[in-house]
Amino acid sequence: MNSKAYWLTNATLETGYQLQHGIISGTQTDTFHIQIENGKIKEILPAQKSITSELPKYDAEQYLMLPSFRDMHIHLDKTYYGGKWKAPAVPEHGIWTRLQEEKKLIPELLPYTEERAKKLMDLLLSAGTTHIRSHCNVGPTEGLHHLEALLRASENYQNKVFVEIVAFPQQGMLRSNAASFVRDALRNGAGYVGGVDPASIDGDVEKSLQTIMELAVEGDANIDIHLHEAGELGIFTMKRLAALTEEAGWQGRVTLSHAFALADIHGNVLDEMAEILAQQGISIASSVSLSKTIPIPFLHQKGVEVFLGDDSITDHWSPFGKGDSLEKAGLLAERFGLSDERTLGQTLQYITGGITPLDENGRQVWPKPGDAANFVLADASCSAEAVARRAQRKAVFYQGNQITGSLYP
Amino acid sequence: MHTSQWIKNIKIEKNYKEEDGYITGTETELSYFLIKNGKMEQIISADQVITDNIPQIDADGLLALPSFTEKHCHLDKTLLGDDWRPVIPTKNIFERFEVEKKVLPTLATTTQERAEKLLDIYSHAGVTKVRTHVDLYPEVGLKNLDEVKKALHSYENRLDSEIVAFPQHGLLRSDSKHLVKEALKRGAGYVGGVDPANVDGDIEASLQAMVELAVEAEAGIDLHLHDADHLGTFTMKRLAELTTEAGLQGKVFISHAFGLGDVSFKQAEELAEIFADAGVGIISSVPNNRKFPPLELLTNKGVETAVGCDNIFDVWSPFGNGDILERLGRLAEIYRWVDQPSLTQSLGYITGGKTTLTKDGKQAWPKVGDEANIVFVKASCSAEAVARRSKRVATMFKGNVAAGEL
Repeated sequence: MNSKAYWLTNATLETGYQLQHGIISGTQTDTFHIQIENGKIKEILPAQKSITSELPKYDAEQYLMLPSFRDMHIHLDKTYYGGKWKAPAVPEHGIWTRLQEEKKLIPELLPYTEERAKKLMDLLLSAGTTHIRSHCNVGPTEGLHHLEALLRASENYQNKVFVEIVAFPQQGMLRSNAASFVRDALRNGAGYVGGVDPASIDGDVEKSLQTIMELAVEGDANIDIHLHEAGELGIFTMKRLAALTEEAGWQGRVTLSHAFALADIHGNVLDEMAEILAQQGISIASSVSLSKTIPIPFLHQKGVEVFLGDDSITDHWSPFGKGDSLEKAGLLAERFGLSDERTLGQTLQYITGGITPLDENGRQVWPKPGDAANFVLADASCSAEAVARRAQRKAVFYQGNQITGSLYP
Repeated sequence: MHTSQWIKNIKIEKNYKEEDGYITGTETELSYFLIKNGKMEQIISADQVITDNIPQIDADGLLALPSFTEKHCHLDKTLLGDDWRPVIPTKNIFERFEVEKKVLPTLATTTQERAEKLLDIYSHAGVTKVRTHVDLYPEVGLKNLDEVKKALHSYENRLDSEIVAFPQHGLLRSDSKHLVKEALKRGAGYVGGVDPANVDGDIEASLQAMVELAVEAEAGIDLHLHDADHLGTFTMKRLAELTTEAGLQGKVFISHAFGLGDVSFKQAEELAEIFADAGVGIISSVPNNRKFPPLELLTNKGVETAVGCDNIFDVWSPFGNGDILERLGRLAEIYRWVDQPSLTQSLGYITGGKTTLTKDGKQAWPKVGDEANIVFVKASCSAEAVARRSKRVATMFKGNVAAGEL
């Protein structure tokens, strides 16, 4: 549903960098009135100019306008969030412990899936996220039941957030014989073919990747697979996937989630891998794992698209997770020492689908008339401050409608 | 304030709860605490009846945890309460000293105001004890110390404090021994220091000077040691030897101690044994951009360990939110402490070793006679509080509500 027409008055926008002795010492901002119509930004006026139209006006109270956020890797369908606390068990056998647990747990979660997915979406929305990519278990254990629950939840939220769903054969595409379930899921609302560890879970890198690619081509769907495999095994798998991507002409339609092996390689090997990913338009979704972080700024610099996600939010895999994309961006900045005005501000791009108010040279590039009215009003003086300090979110807008906050009734 | 008071309906942890064949949570029970003269005089179960006329307040089922300690902060450095300003890139630590020296005196707010702002955040986060380093160098003299003391004085009913006399520009390098000596006479309890090798340029002379100052003033030591790998561990070993020689066991701490995170597990194990014998403690700010000491190994070997937030929005770093529970949660994430016992035990890193349950699940806190330093948290158990960084509703210091409301 697109919004009615109105003016958002007195919003702060970033207009350029402040320089002092050739060093960026801060960000220049100014106050603007912004006209929203049909879910888009129609006009931007300096605040000194008066508004002549009769449209309703809502005061942004000088809060900073930022592009809204994207959580590009989460599991909305198996969270405990909104339910009672339950600690995960010690994973004595790593991922196998978790897969074994899911056989019993996943059906038990089903009655709560829809309700908890909504609660978790509420948490994400309040933090400024208006675009969610959620993996959703499909396969012989759960059939399409989790997908159905998640679709019901996201239909309810379609005026608040864009949700895209990955049909995720958690127990292994081949290992659990899940291809037919993934195919059905693609016909019933999922937009992505998922997968996990073609070598260590499926036991056959080539066949696993081939199956994923065939399903994607057949369903005209994109791909987003979990790749935890370490070292050369992970790199080999990425290279094979890149080759299949090229053969199928699937450039720009494939994402690797985690891609931990990228943290294990260096120098020329990393250089070459990054170039291959960039050439094939294979993007990376990272949760900025605190125990193993891939070289995100380097990948970005090589032209690989990297975006961030929260992954687990209190589930049987991990009790952690805040559901706050800005927190993820802040952790990323801290992890890679991005602590000056420019690099902090540019960090925002990892959670906004590449949008930043200023480009690297300090030219204002957002917002412009015609842009979707998806934005956050933050209590900060500039993007850099918002990222470093995880500024408070005062209001969040999706397609011109306020979805959280109290700017207008 | 009443000298005696009942707090009703406090949730306390009793033992671990099993479900599906493993420990999934913690059994709790509601109880009443009688607080008298700042101490826990009586702890009774909520099904007992109170017959006296002592005033009562209601904790409404909130979970009680031992209050937190912030073991490494710089109250005089923070910019909190002042305008946003980005970190200016510098080539090395010496340029950073210069930036800091120039910027801080130009701020519109006073050091005391900014320190109080940070103390308020700590207090709301559940902290009732802070150890702050205070910069001493020739240009600033004892001014930061005076300002921080004023701030701590205005918070003395809300938290305890310890001050480290910190020659940020190098004890030897900036010729600051006399300032440290003076600071120790004026309220500082610890001799500080930084990188005897890379800042002071003479490991032996730097360590000797610190130890002499500490012995003379009967003070402790808390050294910032960023010097990496073997340079760091060499310095640590030497400090441990000097600690034993001087009889300072239990009063010496190494903050950061990055070298311990760089060397092999076996070497770290040997060092842990040396620290345990010499009574040298290790404090980490749990950086996410560098290896840090293996805290679990150190703790298991009997070394005193603690976590601190370190920089909170200053000219060194724009990050940090002053929530020590958040810092602990980060530690748990890095070490992948996902299970109930690990999370429950992790609390010790921010409570001076106190946990609600022992390793085998027996009740360890609260105990009658303990100081009534309590955080009231909206959580079902301490493990949840750590993993989810649960909301702190009120902080009690010596029986009085220091932050929040009950």
